[in-house]
Amino acid sequence: MSNQELFGLTRKGSRMVKAVLLALVACVLLAFPFLAQNRYQVHIINTAGIYILISLGLNIAMGYAGQFNLAMGALWGVGAYTAAILNTRFGIPFWLNLPAAMVAAGVMGAIVGLPSFKVRSHYLAIVTIGLGEVINIILVNEQKLTGGADGIARIQMPSFFGIPINTDERYYYLILVIVVLGFLVARQLLRHRIGRSFRAIRDDYQAAKAMGVNTAYYQILAFVISAAYAGAAGALFAHLNTYISPDIFEFSSTLFIMTMTMVGGMGSLAGSVVGGLALPILQEYLRVIRNWQLVVYGVAIMAVVLFFPGGVMGVMRRLRSSRALRWLSPGKSAQEKLQAEETNVPGN
Amino acid sequence: MNIGIFLQTIIGGIGIGSLYALVALGYSMVYRSMGLVNFAQGSIYMVGTYFGIIWYAGMVMGLHVPYPIALLVGILLNACLGVLLERIFRPLAKLDLMFMLLGTIGLGFVLDNLFVIIFGAEGFAVRSPLPNAPIVVLGIRILPQMLLLIGGSALLMVGLQVFLKRTRSGKAMRASAMDHDIASAMGIPVNRMNALTLAIGSGLAAAAGILAAPIVYVNPAMGSAVGLKGFAAAILGGLGSIPGAIAGGLVFGVLEAVSAGYISSSYTRGIAFLVMVIVLMVKPSGIVGEVTVEKV
Repeated sequence: MSNQELFGLTRKGSRMVKAVLLALVACVLLAFPFLAQNRYQVHIINTAGIYILISLGLNIAMGYAGQFNLAMGALWGVGAYTAAILNTRFGIPFWLNLPAAMVAAGVMGAIVGLPSFKVRSHYLAIVTIGLGEVINIILVNEQKLTGGADGIARIQMPSFFGIPINTDERYYYLILVIVVLGFLVARQLLRHRIGRSFRAIRDDYQAAKAMGVNTAYYQILAFVISAAYAGAAGALFAHLNTYISPDIFEFSSTLFIMTMTMVGGMGSLAGSVVGGLALPILQEYLRVIRNWQLVVYGVAIMAVVLFFPGGVMGVMRRLRSSRALRWLSPGKSAQEKLQAEETNVPGN
Repeated sequence: MNIGIFLQTIIGGIGIGSLYALVALGYSMVYRSMGLVNFAQGSIYMVGTYFGIIWYAGMVMGLHVPYPIALLVGILLNACLGVLLERIFRPLAKLDLMFMLLGTIGLGFVLDNLFVIIFGAEGFAVRSPLPNAPIVVLGIRILPQMLLLIGGSALLMVGLQVFLKRTRSGKAMRASAMDHDIASAMGIPVNRMNALTLAIGSGLAAAAGILAAPIVYVNPAMGSAVGLKGFAAAILGGLGSIPGAIAGGLVFGVLEAVSAGYISSSYTRGIAFLVMVIVLMVKPSGIVGEVTVEKV
């Protein structure tokens, strides 16, 4: 009985701690453009926000549904080019381009995902890499539509009810809103039927199928959702930088996105946020050491893979469950104590 | 259609295809013996090319070593690199594909950028040790270096088969690839066999790079495209199968050459990848269709 009281109390306490922390984070996020030392820092964070969005998409497909989608860079390009072409040719504003880019990328994502019916693991990896390459080659070669290797310039920045969103500071809030929305939507999706089906397919494809999960539908859905995230990120990217070219969306960008997702933690949405923020910032700091930066980067990737395969979020989880740091989240520890006692009962 | 030009295109495709095949062999052999998909293979190919060409092109103390010796030195140095890499790959091979992918890509990153630091990012052309004038046979013009590439690769592939089928170490290697536990119970040092596999795979990649260097352009970024195509070739033939890697490489090379010559030169890469995707859709085990070890 005392356990239960303790449980209720600490749960209330931890909820308070959580609320305070959340409020703090919200304040920092809202005030960031005023806290930043210069415009360039805001620009880096804006770019990081765009990467977080793509990383969320990749995480849904790979971390939750177990579907290798290594065409993410190219799908990001599809979104960016859709927005850029609609804006520069037809003068369509950002607010319509954003859903258009998501739809266009989503359709391409479904096409990229079709092979997942037939092939899995490394075969699916190379097939999606190949299709991504094909998309990129189309971007380079369809010069009439995409401007070829020169790319598309003079994309307009958006405006919000007459207020032009034409500085990095203003754009920051646009990205913030979309990233927060994207995060919440992803969390909601993964908590419900879709998320359960994704995990069932990831953990045991045959068993999921036997239990009546419509595997084909959910596999394609995973590709479409991840592509839609990449598409939204593409529209944001095109309207932020006002210039895009196909080399941005090459396979190396997929690798960069995959790296940040793995560093943050594959299979954890918070991991995408951590990785998406950390890597672009890290890259900026590593610029000081010039050529060595990519070497350090490569060594860091290998270290994460070999020593912390769960990424940052995996380390956090391990810390939280370790005895030494239990006081950090009292609610959890009480719950665990309760569980431990329950499981001990039959033993006695 | 001019039959002479067609044959010329095919021979060019076979030349580049043997380059892909040698790189693909590295992927397949390592996958078969360690269950590891080594995405650093492209970088290993680049490193091997430098290991040989620097001696030949006078980049080390102005030495101009004869081409055959440079070739041998490059192969040996890269084989040593392969042995070292076994230590890094051993823990990686136990992880999920996702982690292998990223870990080996990380390694490739390190190698690529170390070579940018050492030799600079800009590449250079390599003079062929053979005359530059094409040989004309029945109206078909072929570069002597292309013949050397095709002949050398063919010799290496035959040599590899003989080694695997006839020698004691080759048999031990195949045994350890087939079943680690039973092989080690029989007294075969499995880790050493894996190191040997990596050494051979890296040596073959170096040979491919050095033989093709006078035809392609040498720079630290040369590995990524060839690495990706080599992997596509290995998958095309059936990952883990040695004849499959050879067939996959040749098919991929010919496909690329034919589509460049007859369909569209700007879509070459795309067409080759598209055909690979279609082949995998129709026959996921690859064109050779050998049953390969599948980790469940």
